[in-house]
Amino acid sequence: MPKVLASAPNAGGRHQRGRRVSPTLSEINVVPMVDVMLVLLVIFMVAAPMLQRGVEVNLPVATRSQEISTEQVFVDLPISYRQNRRVFIDKEPIRIDVLPERVRQIMLTRTTKIVYLRGDAQVNLQELYEVFDRLREAGVVNVGIISAAPGEQ
Amino acid sequence: MRNMNDIWTGNLKVSGCLVAAIAAALAAAVVAGGLPPSTIARGALSEVEGQATGQAPAPPPASQAPQQPPEVSLVISGDPGTPPRYAVPDFVALSPDAAEMARTIAQVLWDDLAFERDFYMIPRDTYATVPAAQSAAQIPFDRWRELGADAVVFGTVRRTGDEVRVEVRLFAVRTRQQVFGKEYTGTAANPRLYAHTASDEIHLQQRNLRGVARTKLTFSSDRNRERVAGPIDNREVKEIYISDYDGANQRRITTSRQLNINPSWSPDARALAYTTFGPIPDIFISYLYRGVRENPTRGRGTNYLPVFSPDGTRIAFMSGRDGNPEIYVVNVDGSNLRRITNHPAGDTTPTWSPTGTQIAFVSDRAGAPQIYIVGADGLNLRRLTSESHADRPTWSPAPFNEIAFTARTGPGYDIKVYDLATGMTRRITFGEGSNESPAYAPNGKHLAFMSTRAGRYQVFTIGRDGRGVRQVTREGGNFTPAWSN
Repeated sequence: MPKVLASAPNAGGRHQRGRRVSPTLSEINVVPMVDVMLVLLVIFMVAAPMLQRGVEVNLPVATRSQEISTEQVFVDLPISYRQNRRVFIDKEPIRIDVLPERVRQIMLTRTTKIVYLRGDAQVNLQELYEVFDRLREAGVVNVGIISAAPGEQ
Repeated sequence: MRNMNDIWTGNLKVSGCLVAAIAAALAAAVVAGGLPPSTIARGALSEVEGQATGQAPAPPPASQAPQQPPEVSLVISGDPGTPPRYAVPDFVALSPDAAEMARTIAQVLWDDLAFERDFYMIPRDTYATVPAAQSAAQIPFDRWRELGADAVVFGTVRRTGDEVRVEVRLFAVRTRQQVFGKEYTGTAANPRLYAHTASDEIHLQQRNLRGVARTKLTFSSDRNRERVAGPIDNREVKEIYISDYDGANQRRITTSRQLNINPSWSPDARALAYTTFGPIPDIFISYLYRGVRENPTRGRGTNYLPVFSPDGTRIAFMSGRDGNPEIYVVNVDGSNLRRITNHPAGDTTPTWSPTGTQIAFVSDRAGAPQIYIVGADGLNLRRLTSESHADRPTWSPAPFNEIAFTARTGPGYDIKVYDLATGMTRRITFGEGSNESPAYAPNGKHLAFMSTRAGRYQVFTIGRDGRGVRQVTREGGNFTPAWSN
């Protein structure tokens, strides 16, 4: 959580790739999931407390914070997924059936096998689960769902 | 295999001659298929390589690694900090009866390239998302890019009767540029060899690495479950076998129905030296391609554990001819016998340094068996290890300067490596079964060893970093592997 929050002003541009994330985003709520198959359950269990947002940490300013935040793997799931079955990693469109292999390649160099999903609010459960299944195929066990804090739009 | 040089010189040998010569094999019989199909010729695809066409460069001598690539060529790199990602889709069968071969060659090439772990090999079951190209012009680079590939292999196989023509090209996905292209022709006897050859050449060109895809293993095996014919005692025989480095093409070499154990390769990989328990244990050399078996010790005393010197002219071995086990060196033709060690305790299992100037061996002169080294002239003896029990040293090839050995680590044994520069010992295996008798691959990056981790003793290979264990043998019990150049 602090890593993401550390994205401070200079990280603003980084987060524009999420369709739903505003360019001036300074805080993100992250819901880490232990098991993607439990994701549904956990969402509702965790969503309520998370609505109040996590503990806010005023991190010291450090030039390296940008690097840490970019180590996270973000998968963007825009509403256009419904038409073309494409998600985005680093602004690169990737067909859903190629996603497992691409994520597997990325995970080789990561110590934490966690993927953060920036999904459009209009994405339905079926679509969400398609992505979960593919991520699980890639060996990802933790999926974080990213949401904007209330009033942040 | 050294005789694969025929590929480069374009010599065409008829494998039938080979068969005839070997059919006359005495105790050492080699089945023709155990030898590489020798009719592969090599030609550069003229439109392929921007560089040297026509005369193929001779392969650099395998004994010196690493080597310079024979020609300047484009090297495919991956993302910073990651190995380049390779895809090897099925080759295109240009004749209907080549379909199976096209699949086999692609799969074996994938395995070969994966073995050195210098590339990230994209799993072949993910290629279904990419449309298959029927020609190099059709390669869907965008789709390979989407799958994360930095390099993609395109290959074709054409079969005309028994003649096979295999074309292998390597493309950089980003630039869509061909960086490697070779054509091989030969028989259909061993399609895996086309893949092995291409793999070694790609490793050399792209990574300046001497791959081991064409090397072979030898080991002794009791798989045929015969009983010893002689009067020694009623036990199962062991015979010497060879196989490809990946365990394919396993062939029986000795047929003497005796205990044939501890084989080692000659540096040119054309002969095996081993111990045979006939009336008395003695050393024999089987010349695989001549079908000849020789006895360099000429039946004097009991002789065990022969190992060829790196130049192939001498054999170090252990003999009890002077009353207790000592290390001796003799020329391959049986001349110039010299005793290297002289101690009332037992000295055994010699191994040569890569330069042939030193010999490491095991001695129990200090109580428990430990590894010692001594000059090939018998001088400058010193002790290396301080284990509870150390056995079976094998000296690594250059550029590594280390000795792998078997060490007791509890109820069983594990493989350890002694670094001669630092004097430090590290472990390769960690108590999964008993792990014994290490042998280095010619590039020093891998070790073969025998282990009980899967039940009976079987031959496995492992990276020198202790990763990437592969089981090579499965039939019967298989012991004391050695790795060819």
